[in-house]
Amino acid sequence: MFSINPFAQVAAGLSAAFMQTYVVLMVLAVIAGTLFDVAHKGSAKFFERRKKESRARAERELGGGEKLMLAVETVAEAAVSGEFCKWPRRLSHLLMMYGFILYVISTACLVFSYPDNARPDSALPALWTLGACMVLVGGLWFFFFLRVNVAFDGDSPFHVGRADLFVGSLILSVLSALVWHAMSAAAANPAAIWITFGIYLFFTTVLFGTVVWSKFAHMFFKPAVAFQRRVEEADGSSDLPRPSTENYIVRS
Amino acid sequence: MPTYTDMTRCDGCGECVDICPSDIMHIDPVYRRSYNIEPNFCWECYSCVKACPQNAIDVRGYADFAPLGHKVRVLREPEKGVISWKIRYRDGRIKEFAFPIRTTPWGSIKAAGEYEKPDAAAFGTQMLAHEPTALHIDALPTLEQKTIPAKQAKA
Repeated sequence: MFSINPFAQVAAGLSAAFMQTYVVLMVLAVIAGTLFDVAHKGSAKFFERRKKESRARAERELGGGEKLMLAVETVAEAAVSGEFCKWPRRLSHLLMMYGFILYVISTACLVFSYPDNARPDSALPALWTLGACMVLVGGLWFFFFLRVNVAFDGDSPFHVGRADLFVGSLILSVLSALVWHAMSAAAANPAAIWITFGIYLFFTTVLFGTVVWSKFAHMFFKPAVAFQRRVEEADGSSDLPRPSTENYIVRS
Repeated sequence: MPTYTDMTRCDGCGECVDICPSDIMHIDPVYRRSYNIEPNFCWECYSCVKACPQNAIDVRGYADFAPLGHKVRVLREPEKGVISWKIRYRDGRIKEFAFPIRTTPWGSIKAAGEYEKPDAAAFGTQMLAHEPTALHIDALPTLEQKTIPAKQAKA
């Protein structure tokens, strides 16, 4: 399973261009969904207004080098999900984030570089499976134990709402991908393989096609907001109080 | 001064829901961000304000000290044991205050459930569960036992 390219099995029944076109369409769906989200919710206007207001309040102008450093700090924070204060939430997000990156990049490489090579001489199939497993573990952990309405608000773990559209479709997409891949690797009944492949495509389309309604775009917005906050703190325009100069902890 | 959540800052971590003593901080079902479901019933303890790791919870000041257009923001500095408040008035004036919030490091106090289950015999003592360790003493002071002379006892 770790050395077999699942997409090569598809090329046996469909042309290689099918999955390549599908991947391009999904990328376009994410871009279009994010742009529509920005326009429809007025997020761009809101952030632009906030930027103007903070610039007017700024006590000093930041140089290009300083801004670059702040951008690097923001990326470093996002890379370790430093904004989370509790380790289970942080770890589950890291599993999902890095798993998703691995899964998406290896999917694109397999689809475009090895469309009909069932056993490519590379670690890509292993990385694809590993990425999907990481997303599945992090996602299920988050879904059943860490979702805030489940952990704190008393909802059932099976209670789903619109806020679950992203994590739900993500979990179902990778789960169906793994099931389909396992069936292909085990050379199961061809009809069953095609059915699971159809389910995989359905949930993947839901994941990438519902950006407007789901939390998908938070992956792009969160680093942007984190950067803006760092800039505000650095140029003195932050609405937060100044950090205290005193330490009141007197004993441990 | 009831609290409210700035949704652009809220991360939906649930710390405020967990700590609110009157159970009025809840999670919005659509956006999964916290909100105060009943500001009129807010006890104004500001536990949520202090607990929020994203500084997302603001205070809606009363009109007599901070009329419309004001802003009250809070900064939590657990490593220093300080909560700082910043009030920006409508006319642009700013006032800042810093208060010590505790004398022990953040997270150093154990919740009741984290302590070992006490021995059944402890129910019979006069001491509280954490005494005398929490008082930083070896033993609680006791009353001196005096023997009463027989004559006084008879009288």
